[in-house]
Amino acid sequence: MLKRTARMVAALMLIGGGALAGQDDIILDVTGDITDGTAKLDREALQKLPQVTLETSTVVTDGTHSFTGFLMRDLLDRLGAQGELVIASALNDYVVEIPMSDFSEFDVIVAYRMDGKPLQRDDKGPLWIVYPRDQHEALQDIRYDYRWVWQLSRLEVQ
Amino acid sequence: MIRFRNLAFGLLLPLVAVLVFAVLLTFSLIRMLEVENAMRVGAEKNMLWVFHQSEVAARRLTETAALVGLGEADIEELSLRIDILKSRVAILNDGPQRRFVEEIALDDELDRIAAALETMTPVAADFSPGEGARLREALKPAARIFGRAANKAMIAEWNDLGGRLETYRAQLRQIILSLIGIMGAGGILAATLAVALRQTHQRNLMLRQSRDFSALLISSSGEGILAVDRAGRCTLWNDAMAGLIGKPAEQATGQPLAELAGFFGIAPLRAGIARAFEGDSSELALQPLFRDEQTEPRYVDLRIFPMRNDGEVIGAILFLHDATDRHAAQKRDAEDRDRLEDLVAERTRDLDDALRRERSAADLYRNFAAMVSHQFRTPLAVADSALQRLIRRGPSVDSDEVVDRANRARNAIAGLTRLVESTLDVARLDAGQLGAQRMRCALNDIVRTVCTRQRDADPAREIRILPSPDDDDTVFCDPAHAEQILENLLLNAVKYASAGSPVSVCVHGDRQNLFCDVHNEGDPIPENERDLIFNRNYRGTNSTGSAGTGLGLFMAGTLARMQGGDLFLQPDTDGVTFRISLPRFKPSAA
Repeated sequence: MLKRTARMVAALMLIGGGALAGQDDIILDVTGDITDGTAKLDREALQKLPQVTLETSTVVTDGTHSFTGFLMRDLLDRLGAQGELVIASALNDYVVEIPMSDFSEFDVIVAYRMDGKPLQRDDKGPLWIVYPRDQHEALQDIRYDYRWVWQLSRLEVQ
Repeated sequence: MIRFRNLAFGLLLPLVAVLVFAVLLTFSLIRMLEVENAMRVGAEKNMLWVFHQSEVAARRLTETAALVGLGEADIEELSLRIDILKSRVAILNDGPQRRFVEEIALDDELDRIAAALETMTPVAADFSPGEGARLREALKPAARIFGRAANKAMIAEWNDLGGRLETYRAQLRQIILSLIGIMGAGGILAATLAVALRQTHQRNLMLRQSRDFSALLISSSGEGILAVDRAGRCTLWNDAMAGLIGKPAEQATGQPLAELAGFFGIAPLRAGIARAFEGDSSELALQPLFRDEQTEPRYVDLRIFPMRNDGEVIGAILFLHDATDRHAAQKRDAEDRDRLEDLVAERTRDLDDALRRERSAADLYRNFAAMVSHQFRTPLAVADSALQRLIRRGPSVDSDEVVDRANRARNAIAGLTRLVESTLDVARLDAGQLGAQRMRCALNDIVRTVCTRQRDADPAREIRILPSPDDDDTVFCDPAHAEQILENLLLNAVKYASAGSPVSVCVHGDRQNLFCDVHNEGDPIPENERDLIFNRNYRGTNSTGSAGTGLGLFMAGTLARMQGGDLFLQPDTDGVTFRISLPRFKPSAA
């Protein structure tokens, strides 16, 4: 009960922080079945979420890299997301449907730093959905590879 | 030959089939693993999509630049499109993508596009339509280059895919062939299994039949049959056993044998079972089996055998055969035999007695003949010489001499008569004709009578009757026999006494018997003759030169024993003492 209240307060603070941020700084829109209907989040608000670092290889780069960001399920929990599906959209209008179960089964993160450097929009930034590919053999599959959305800009919970 | 063929079909064929099965299975497994590995699609091969995206990004940037010139898009939008295209170029310059670009020899063009994009950023806030035209011009080849790259990527990927599919097909063909082989081997194995199953079924059937037959034999057997396991628990109990022990099979099976009946606790049976557990059979004959306290026991013959399974002793089996009838017959036989033996012994005894009597009669006659030749000759010679002298003297003989000579002859004849009488007495004794007429007698009277008679016969010899310390002198005997015993002893005493010495007689007694001691002075009887003198016809070494039959002491002893008394030679050093013992008269004994 106490834990749940604390989580609500944290979510309100997060949203409040997001609302205060300038329109231009917004890097992630979340819509759909969440507590407040919509949430616009800037970099600072996102960096307040518990920070997670993940070492993994990717299919578009050589070698392994260190990714820093937050767990997708932490974000969705904070926002009170209720649903089976998350539709992730990128800046270049790439759209993909990700089952909510991915985030509970695997420690899927939304990375904002790669190898210690912030991800930039002219590379794969500002946000990149990263699966722990090296940690789970099941994730070494092209049906998971297309869920690695970079230049992530929108999430819609259904 | 047939055996070999059986072996070949029974063992070799399935073995080969299993081998083929295993080899082919391993081969197809390896092949399938290879296919499985190869089928992981490397995403770096998805170059067609990357080039398409890059082309779209380039075209949208060109379009946005144009729209900015027309005032329909803002600088922010343009900046986003530039960033997106730059990110595409960055992707293409990243590891695997860059290598593919170099493969299709478009790397120089890509570098040029990247350089052009670098010059455009950051986008100035006062972006002019002229700059837009320059930007479009700079990016014009980009879309075309990405299109061409997509074209090449498609061809490369399809070639790759075609090759890969061909490899898969070849591997799958091998796998299919292997599977056909596996099916063949499996078919052979299945057939072998079916044959083996049928044989097993037939053997089971035979086994079941023989087991049923065994069960029938056991249940219908007249012998009691039971089996025990190593723990001593009953595992089999047939009807005959139930009849013998009085417990049905339901109560018996599973129970410890010792608790079923006391009979199973007896030591020889336990030892037999223990021996069976060690693998030895044993038999016990005619063991008594008590069903309860009241009824007579039944007698059973036992046979105990070990029960084996694969050479290991798993228990014991017991056969009980009711042999009560045989036991009874044996017992009857034994009784008959005992009776017969008794009968034979009795007859033998009778025969022995008869034989002994015959022998003693023969001895008697022989001894009688010897005695007649020796003992009878002397008195006859005495009588003869007395009479001859009388005849020779003729008329000159005076009357005194006639009396003297006649008395001598008469004495000799009287001695002869005594000899004949005693010989006849013994003969009667031997023949069992001499019965004792026992009655109450006064021993002192008998002693006096006999002594008086002896004094009359031989007045020269002094015979003393010593005073009796006993008041009661009644004995239980035949008085005639008692007189004869005493007479014989007195005659002996007189005959062997030293010249001039007296003979003494003394009556005394104890609680049971009265004794009469007859004593004479003279040479004691030598030690080695003391037992012999009571024998029939035995004459001591000191008796030579005197008349006698050797029957006197034998007769006296025999008669004394007939009265329930006895005759002893007392251990004397000065002379000889014989003791007669006769039982005292008791009123109840009369």
